[in-house]
Amino acid sequence: MIRRALYLIPVFFGITLLVFSIERLAGDPVRLLTALNPNISDAQRQLLREYFGLDKPVYAQYLTWLGELFTGNLGNAYAIGGGISVSTLLLDRSQYTLEIQLLGLTISMLIAVPIGVLSAKRRYSKLDLVVSNTALVGTSIPIFFLGIVFILVFGYNLGLFPPGLAQSTLPSQYPFGSAVLDRLWHLTLPTAVYTFAILAPVVLLVRSSMLEVLRQDYILAAKVSGLKDRTVTYKHGLRNALLPVITYVGLYFGGLLAGAPITETVFNWPGVGALFVQATNKLDFPVIQGIVVAITLMTLVANILTDVSYAYIDPRIRLE
Amino acid sequence: MSNSRASNSVRQRGGVSQWALAWRRFKKNKAAISGLLIVGFIAFLAAFDRLLAPYPPNCIIGFSFQCPGSYSTNQPPSLAHPFGIDKNGEDVYSQVIYGARAAFLVGFGATAIAMVISVLIGLAAGYYGRLVDNLLMRLTEVFLVLPFLLILLVFLRVLYTFNSTATGGLGIVILIIGALSWPGNARIIRSEVLHIRDYEFIQASKQLGATGTRLLFRHILPNVLHVMIVLTTLQIAASILIEAGVSFLGFGDPNAATWGRELALGSESVNQAWWVGAFPGIFLTFLVMGFNLLGNGLRDALDPRLRE
Repeated sequence: MIRRALYLIPVFFGITLLVFSIERLAGDPVRLLTALNPNISDAQRQLLREYFGLDKPVYAQYLTWLGELFTGNLGNAYAIGGGISVSTLLLDRSQYTLEIQLLGLTISMLIAVPIGVLSAKRRYSKLDLVVSNTALVGTSIPIFFLGIVFILVFGYNLGLFPPGLAQSTLPSQYPFGSAVLDRLWHLTLPTAVYTFAILAPVVLLVRSSMLEVLRQDYILAAKVSGLKDRTVTYKHGLRNALLPVITYVGLYFGGLLAGAPITETVFNWPGVGALFVQATNKLDFPVIQGIVVAITLMTLVANILTDVSYAYIDPRIRLE
Repeated sequence: MSNSRASNSVRQRGGVSQWALAWRRFKKNKAAISGLLIVGFIAFLAAFDRLLAPYPPNCIIGFSFQCPGSYSTNQPPSLAHPFGIDKNGEDVYSQVIYGARAAFLVGFGATAIAMVISVLIGLAAGYYGRLVDNLLMRLTEVFLVLPFLLILLVFLRVLYTFNSTATGGLGIVILIIGALSWPGNARIIRSEVLHIRDYEFIQASKQLGATGTRLLFRHILPNVLHVMIVLTTLQIAASILIEAGVSFLGFGDPNAATWGRELALGSESVNQAWWVGAFPGIFLTFLVMGFNLLGNGLRDALDPRLRE
């Protein structure tokens, strides 16, 4: 397992190099930034280059950036927030993204696992047919389309939830005057959409993995030894069936984070994803690089956590 | 050559080929057939888009002689405009028809690129093993951990900055989606190759003096073909979804009529004109679902290990 964690180190460096070189491949950042400004002179461009440290050789810039990265300093933004520190910006925005992601992930797992188990236990029943077909449709609906439908139906037509943003503009609009309740009220629609998006593939995965496990000899052995049906299903069956589910969630956590730009744009949610879209449109490379590196790091951490929980669930792996 | 002749003679003796068996299983699967019908219907729309759509792509009604009529925005569906008119003053029905063509171009184009890369990497890593495998799999891991959508968006924005008229348009989007979406498939193909490499017929062929390329393309590739077909179908669905997301965020080809672009317009005017987002959204969902159903059906039909 330590070996696996060590493997991830070169992967991480590979990604930092790639992320850094995209900016360099794009050409001179100062020229990109000032392309639309006819009034700027070449002397001013040179000053900007010196200000951002872009006059040094490329490898020196990479090493400086990497060194700063380890101290948690991601540099200053070119344009966003008037050149605010990227670390501050990211810390500020990440809470919004994590709220949706973690809530959505937890709720969808809580719903998906029992449904998947039930569907597998009653294979070919009406319930199973409904569940697996609905899940298949669910995996095909684009998340932004679902978001628009939710905003239209629950936001505008029924008026139950706000159609966007993370907080009401005026404190007087807070329900019962509570900022926390107001945030939860705003969180409902994006979290629901996000939950639905993870729900469908996880249900299908739990179902197929459970079907596979229930066919095993040790399940039969547990049954004939007179254990209760519940015990067999949940203790012997589910525990083993969860392994691929954990791999899926672990591996795709990064993918889910990377999907944030779309969800957050639909709901005008001020998280990292929306920030990324804004930064990309302005070609604000320090912000872009900071977000990509942060998401990559979280993906790698999620991968390691996946391996750890694997060992916890499957004693065969723990003993190796 | 000798191989195909042998299978022909088997067929003449009244035997049934593997493909015919697979087709028999596929035909029995209602979900798979409905997937095929959905994909077929939208392919028909895409093929005859110029005949079916009353207006040219991205044409504001009343602003040019090609789109006669009076200019208006966000008009509900009517007889003249069955899917209504969007925020720009374009006929949503025409835009949806052209979107079908764009979706197929993206789906097939990006998937072709992704599959070529993933097959080459999967074959090489699985067959040569050791150092080659190790290097290729580390590379694959880098691409797997990479936040795909983010890199895609940055690439596109940088390209558009250099190339403000967006010439090459959809082609660039296709190229970049294809070039970034191979790692998952490469891994699956590699693990299939690892299985097949140990079979006796491979050893036998090696002893007979077959070269590496012959072994790879003549013996191993046909045996991973069934996996490739399934992965290709599912990859088409995934590529279409990604392009729609990219266009939705405004990073797609600005000159192409895509469902994602229309959905973005629908999102902007969601409380005034539901029809602008609803129709392209429904078509997009159906096409992706069609390819997913098709892929699942093909997996059940082609994978011998799932046979009951």
